[in-house]
Amino acid sequence: MTARDEILQRVRAGVGKDDFAARRATAEAYLAARSRGPQPSLGHELAARFRSKAESLASTVDAVADPAEAPAAVARYLAAGNLGKQIVLAADIASLDWSGAGLACAVRGAEDADRVGISGCFCAIAETGTLMLLSGPETPATISLLPETHIALVPVSRIVGTMEEAFALLRAERGTLPRAVNFVSGPSRTGDIEQTIVLGAHGPCRVHLILTGQS
Amino acid sequence: MTHAKHSQAMHFQARAAEKVRNPVLQRALQKAKPLFVGKRAKGMAALGEDGLEFEGLRSACVDIRNRVLADLDVWLAIFEERAKATGAEVLWARDGDEICDLVIDVARRHGVTKATKSKSMLSEEAHLNEALAAAGIRPVETDLGEYIVQLAGEAPSHIIAPAVHKTIHEVEELFAKEHGRPIETRTSADIPAMAREAREVLRQHFLSAEMGISGANFLIAETGTAVLVTNEGNGRMVTTLPKVHVVITGIEKLVPTLEDFATLMRLLPRSATGQTISNYVSLLTGTRQPGDRDGPEKTVFILVDNGRADLLGSAYQDMLRCIRCGACMNHCPVYFSLGGHAYGWVYPGPMGSVLTPLYTGIENALDLPHASTGCNQCGTVCPVRIPLPSLMHRLREAQTERGLRPWSERLWLRAWAWIARRPALYRWFARRAARYLGWLAGDEGRIQVFGLAPGWTEGRDLPVASNRTFHELYAARKRA
Repeated sequence: MTARDEILQRVRAGVGKDDFAARRATAEAYLAARSRGPQPSLGHELAARFRSKAESLASTVDAVADPAEAPAAVARYLAAGNLGKQIVLAADIASLDWSGAGLACAVRGAEDADRVGISGCFCAIAETGTLMLLSGPETPATISLLPETHIALVPVSRIVGTMEEAFALLRAERGTLPRAVNFVSGPSRTGDIEQTIVLGAHGPCRVHLILTGQS
Repeated sequence: MTHAKHSQAMHFQARAAEKVRNPVLQRALQKAKPLFVGKRAKGMAALGEDGLEFEGLRSACVDIRNRVLADLDVWLAIFEERAKATGAEVLWARDGDEICDLVIDVARRHGVTKATKSKSMLSEEAHLNEALAAAGIRPVETDLGEYIVQLAGEAPSHIIAPAVHKTIHEVEELFAKEHGRPIETRTSADIPAMAREAREVLRQHFLSAEMGISGANFLIAETGTAVLVTNEGNGRMVTTLPKVHVVITGIEKLVPTLEDFATLMRLLPRSATGQTISNYVSLLTGTRQPGDRDGPEKTVFILVDNGRADLLGSAYQDMLRCIRCGACMNHCPVYFSLGGHAYGWVYPGPMGSVLTPLYTGIENALDLPHASTGCNQCGTVCPVRIPLPSLMHRLREAQTERGLRPWSERLWLRAWAWIARRPALYRWFARRAARYLGWLAGDEGRIQVFGLAPGWTEGRDLPVASNRTFHELYAARKRA
């Protein structure tokens, strides 16, 4: 007997029920219902909530009224931190005028040597101050992972309350999951040496968010 | 089926005695405990700000986990179908040896010489690193804590903080040796520099490994997805950069929907570290898609039994709800007196005291169900309400039923039972015992050295409230 068959036989014996087809139908109905557990009450100021939660997780946050102002805001942030002018960009935000802001940009996935990665986001979650990033041809996962500095543009109109709302948006707009859905909440961290928190474990040391547009 | 061959759980008492007397370990543990407890308490208290409360979320989490276990065959079938539909391969392993064989086979098929690993407790159950090394494939642990214990040639001593037993000085010695530099004097101000050093070394491994091996915090049946929850970003690295991704996970890790996963995420990080959310939560589905610039070309799920299926429908089924948060050990006085290595197998603390005998054989871990003060701190903080002390009691009963207790203990219990069933005789013995204890305690009401069980009074006095029995006191009170 194959390992698969033997394990499933043991599982069936442990479950101790035989009406597989009926139980499968019940399970499918449960999947279709997508019922949610206890939901937080977050109030109506989702952008303010997102901002304060993100800051509490050691991200820095800026805001511009118009997405067109984002490249200049990025340039200011990089200059203030002495972080250079070389950036690697996700294709979905490449149409903004980055070179006009004095930045030297490459539109591709990030590599080890890249210092600054700039992405948009699929949406952002106010409850926890979290970015939801999808991998894809125009949105490489490496941009928010390999460079020491990750800057994300977050349209205020794309801030939702909870992870459940983010999933609903994903189903409505995409239907299926990409290879990677990454929920990112601040710079990478470790507490593995004497429980002392250090920012910048394997991923970015700095996460800077630029809110764009009006709520 | 079981892995008693690797378990040291039968040496618990000897190891415990050694750990209690190890000052370096005791220092590390005493430093860590208040941090774990305080962070969780703060994280749970913050739920109230959003109108949520622990018990309500906990009930929802229990329901999700019970729903899966009640029809695990159905949910496994759904997961397998949907994962395959996304292009992933789904393999099954009865035990640790089969895990090793499958991983090595996948590695050989893809010409793998080095595998980077994100935390996987199941790979510890399988002793995968040893098997990979023997097959000529270099395994590199990349969670900083796992990297430290791998350099030390040890096993993790905690399921979410693998190197909690190591002091900064021990870590410095390991880094100096591995990274080929002299040992320096380190204080906690140097911890960022040490983390940086590990980052730079491990970054090169991430970039050059052909295979990434991860566990999964959850599998989502709806979408055929593996979920990884990490803070360091190593989980993202090993699932994004190498051309092959192998997920090793237990068959009980399923949850039905994305919504159910979101519910569990409100308690998992809070229970573990007090965080409202971990830095990186990655939902990994299938392989690199057409046009993608990163992600593996090949994804393999290895679904593992290794003793889990046998718990279904048994008196221990509740244990399968476990989501591996570590809260039970973080609140356990026994764990923090000994550290995780005393437990002798993969899982320490209260959850380990239940799982080790169940997965490696009750007869191979006789002390562990007794490694409890009965305080139920573990049961109180468990996010999926596993009655850990009751399960330990059940295991003790099973030991007695199977005649696994020492003859002297059985003789005492038999004598006690004989007396306890004869009320007059029982009262007579109880009166003698109360008088004797009262006499020993003297005017101060404390016994400083108790000859019948000297261990009890080694570091403390035994207070004695009265030299009269409960029956006598109660009768006197009723008369008054």
